[in-house]
Amino acid sequence: MADRPYISIQHLKTYFDVTRSLFEKRQIVKAVDDVSLDIWPGETLGLVGESGCGKSSLGRTIVMINKPTAGRILVEGEDVTALRGEALKRFRRDVQMIFQDPYASLNPRMTVGEIIREPMDIHSISEPDARDARVVELLRIVGLKPDHIRRYPHEFSGGQRQRISIARTLALNPRFIICDEPISALDVSIQAQIINLLKNVQREMGIAYLFIAHDIGMVKHISDRIGVMYLGHLVELGSSDDVYFKPLHPYTRALLSAIPIPDPVAGKARRRTMLQGELPTPLNPPPGCPFRQRCPQATARCGETMPELREIQGHWVACHNIER
Amino acid sequence: MAENKLLEVKNLTVNFHTEQGTVYAVRDVSFDVAPGEILGLVGESGSGKSVSMYAIMGLLAQNGRVEAGQVLFDGQDISRAAFPNEKSYLRTMRQLRGKDMAMIFQDPMTFLNPVLTIERQLIEPILNHTRLTRAEAKARALELMRQVGIPSPEKRIRQYPHEFSGGMRQRIIIAIALANRPKLIIADEPTTALDVTIQAQILELLKELTRTTGASTIMITHDLGVVASMCDRVNIMYGGKLVETGTDREIYYQPNHPYTMGLLSCVNNPEEEDRPLEPIPGSPPDLLKPPRGCPFVNRCEQAMKVCKLRMPEYENLSPTHLSACWLNEKRRRERGGERNG
Amino acid sequence: MEDTYRKYLADPGALDALDPSEIPDQLFEKLDDSEKDSEFVAMASKTYFQDAWCRFRRNKMALIGLIFIAVMILAAIVIPILSPYTYDGQDMLLRNAPSSWAHPFGTDKFGRDILVRCMYGARISLSVGFAAALLNLVIGVVYGGICGFIGGQFDLVLMRIVDILYSVPTLLYVILIMLVFGANIFSVLLAICVSSWVGMARQVRAQVLSLKEQEFAQAAYVIGASKPRILFKHLVVNCMGPIIVNTTLMVPDAIFTEAFLAFVGIGISIPMASWGTMANDARSLLMSYPMQMVWPVAAICLTMLSLHFIGDGLSEALDPRKR
Repeated sequence: MADRPYISIQHLKTYFDVTRSLFEKRQIVKAVDDVSLDIWPGETLGLVGESGCGKSSLGRTIVMINKPTAGRILVEGEDVTALRGEALKRFRRDVQMIFQDPYASLNPRMTVGEIIREPMDIHSISEPDARDARVVELLRIVGLKPDHIRRYPHEFSGGQRQRISIARTLALNPRFIICDEPISALDVSIQAQIINLLKNVQREMGIAYLFIAHDIGMVKHISDRIGVMYLGHLVELGSSDDVYFKPLHPYTRALLSAIPIPDPVAGKARRRTMLQGELPTPLNPPPGCPFRQRCPQATARCGETMPELREIQGHWVACHNIER
Repeated sequence: MAENKLLEVKNLTVNFHTEQGTVYAVRDVSFDVAPGEILGLVGESGSGKSVSMYAIMGLLAQNGRVEAGQVLFDGQDISRAAFPNEKSYLRTMRQLRGKDMAMIFQDPMTFLNPVLTIERQLIEPILNHTRLTRAEAKARALELMRQVGIPSPEKRIRQYPHEFSGGMRQRIIIAIALANRPKLIIADEPTTALDVTIQAQILELLKELTRTTGASTIMITHDLGVVASMCDRVNIMYGGKLVETGTDREIYYQPNHPYTMGLLSCVNNPEEEDRPLEPIPGSPPDLLKPPRGCPFVNRCEQAMKVCKLRMPEYENLSPTHLSACWLNEKRRRERGGERNG
Repeated sequence: MEDTYRKYLADPGALDALDPSEIPDQLFEKLDDSEKDSEFVAMASKTYFQDAWCRFRRNKMALIGLIFIAVMILAAIVIPILSPYTYDGQDMLLRNAPSSWAHPFGTDKFGRDILVRCMYGARISLSVGFAAALLNLVIGVVYGGICGFIGGQFDLVLMRIVDILYSVPTLLYVILIMLVFGANIFSVLLAICVSSWVGMARQVRAQVLSLKEQEFAQAAYVIGASKPRILFKHLVVNCMGPIIVNTTLMVPDAIFTEAFLAFVGIGISIPMASWGTMANDARSLLMSYPMQMVWPVAAICLTMLSLHFIGDGLSEALDPRKR
């Protein structure tokens, strides 16, 4: 076991200014608001939450597609938020991302071979002559055939494209991959293929994953730990069994009870904690706990201060009403 | 089975004529729906689950054609072949769609008109199919909105679709679908675009409404969790064919077809101990040139020579459980061929 | 016992005729994996441009246009070389002659061969057209691409400059440029380019602006691709369709502008021939020798029409959504 986390996110904030004109009141979306978490080498951290909770923004901030507003991202102890030029390029070899939409994430004008080869060309990995052999090897690892190398992405199905995406990231031998809803656009029988592929790759290469998804069943299956986000905040974090079977935060409990489970008897007998109302907008949120308007246990204190993430026997939760 | 059926589909076959050739989207599919039941229609994209429903409702795209088959709705033959011409078919289908059959779509925004108020869009179908006055229709619209759980309907009925959230829009769609007390509701992935907590609300609502109105519902979905918590019976489709049908318990606890089994081992039941997922290898068949025999032959671990050559016949495993797989014939032979024919 | 399987594989209809219980036991043996069609990949491999060419070929008008332009280019190169006449060689004995074997298009009021002059005109018109389109392509794509890619304040300022350029009438540029550089073909070319690259720049900018939000562009960023690489290898390549169409339609615009300028007397100087100057020369004799007007005008019309058909064909072929 390593003695320090591979990546450590500290008080990360990503705000978007969505003011439409100069004459309007300033409008800020707090997509990620003060999130701190550690990811250890070789582990999978699942991140769940509803659309708009900031889980994708968090992933995209880590790979610097979005600029962080405040906070630090430490990779093996080094702050990467200010990296430029060659140092940033070096960081990109280690930290990669797999995108959600397999139909949009591959350049339609490049062949599969060119797509997988491109990262090696950019980073000058191995001799130019050896790269094509490596492409063939990567294709084999992700379960495609060498003769697919000259074909174009539009000739493949969604699952096959997602394999190409994975091969492209693996070309760099990364240490950490952010999987941004990699299976939500795929069919059920293909989802399991991709999940197993990701697990095999992890076992062989020791890659750490941040697995972002809204399918909690799959997240529980692949993750060692699960984090739950609500409106830009991390509200609960713990081992996947702890979070699933012993949820502490009232939002996590409601979220878990809402999952339809694939068992007709248990599924129909299941009692649901129905949440009132819908997700509020992350636009200029008022102070206090973001969940209080929908929370069945909200007290006056919840409207005043945002609860801190506190540890209870290795299980972290941000709620005023949880006793230690 | 002599019991009354609301919808009976016999040997439905639908082709699409495209630039690349003919797509055999639905091939020889038969099933029925009893009054008041919720039938789940499960399959991957391209399995023909949505196309078969669009064919029943007469909503196929321009290049789609029903090549064969019969559709009986409430005793009336509503297949295209039962009408003398296209016009009378379309007129009857239009009548039916607004009144006795209703459809709920995956994406509410494509169904709602963004420039009309909810009031207009809710009252229109009521006025078209009943003799109610405008005021009565409005009262009915408000009642519907209350029924689908929209708070303060008097205020919200004057708003436009963009002022509603995704979940609320889906409730509006359900209200429009219920406007004329349909006998059959076809829901095409009604919750796929929604978040889990909202999905739970909508599913609960649909279940409740089916119970109170006595309408039958066909749920098209790929989510086995949704099916388990909603449906009384389940049809499994693959490669344009119906491969297995049965009650929810038969399908989940005694699946017969290897595809059904494969599908079930692809999903993780979070309530249980984690087990390795066993994905089905390969990809679904190309429906431009579908396999001659069983559509699943190329991905099936237990495929036999006969599977490649001939489509298996349906085997009655119980009065409600049908499955099309040659393994049943094989098992019978191994038992010593007790039965013939 | 492989034979039973092979036999029915060759004639599966025979198997359908059997009752399920009569099917031979051999067929219930496991199917070898090699007999399965695994992992199919749909469709034969066709690149984007092969696919577009197939669609283009089906468009008859565009194909005719393409052939006409090809013939025109060939004729413009070959005829002046092979012909015994030159564009300025006068034959005072044979003025205003009608069509004959020696002069297929007749001669003008100085006894110059109209066919040869027409072909010289074609050289000028076509080279002005293609050169303008090419310049317009390079400037427009680079400028628009960079604006769209960088975005923000930079884009705002650069696009306002474009707006200002666009708001000045073309004729004003022409006159100013002619004053500075003199009346020659390069001034005409420059004048046409100054005002026309703007449309291309705007279009490319709009495309790049929307494409850079696509996941494949972000994926390229995440794997560490440099900015020029993302812009040209990932973004511009994906708006090739509109760029090609726009370039093709730019050619007839430039040809028309050149002809118009020549007709009103600005542009290349006599005795050089251009379709516009020829039409202008024929104007005074329109009542007595109308055919002298018909040749250059027909050349302009047919060329423009052909290029427009090609443009339409390309836009249909390169953007299948328009079908």
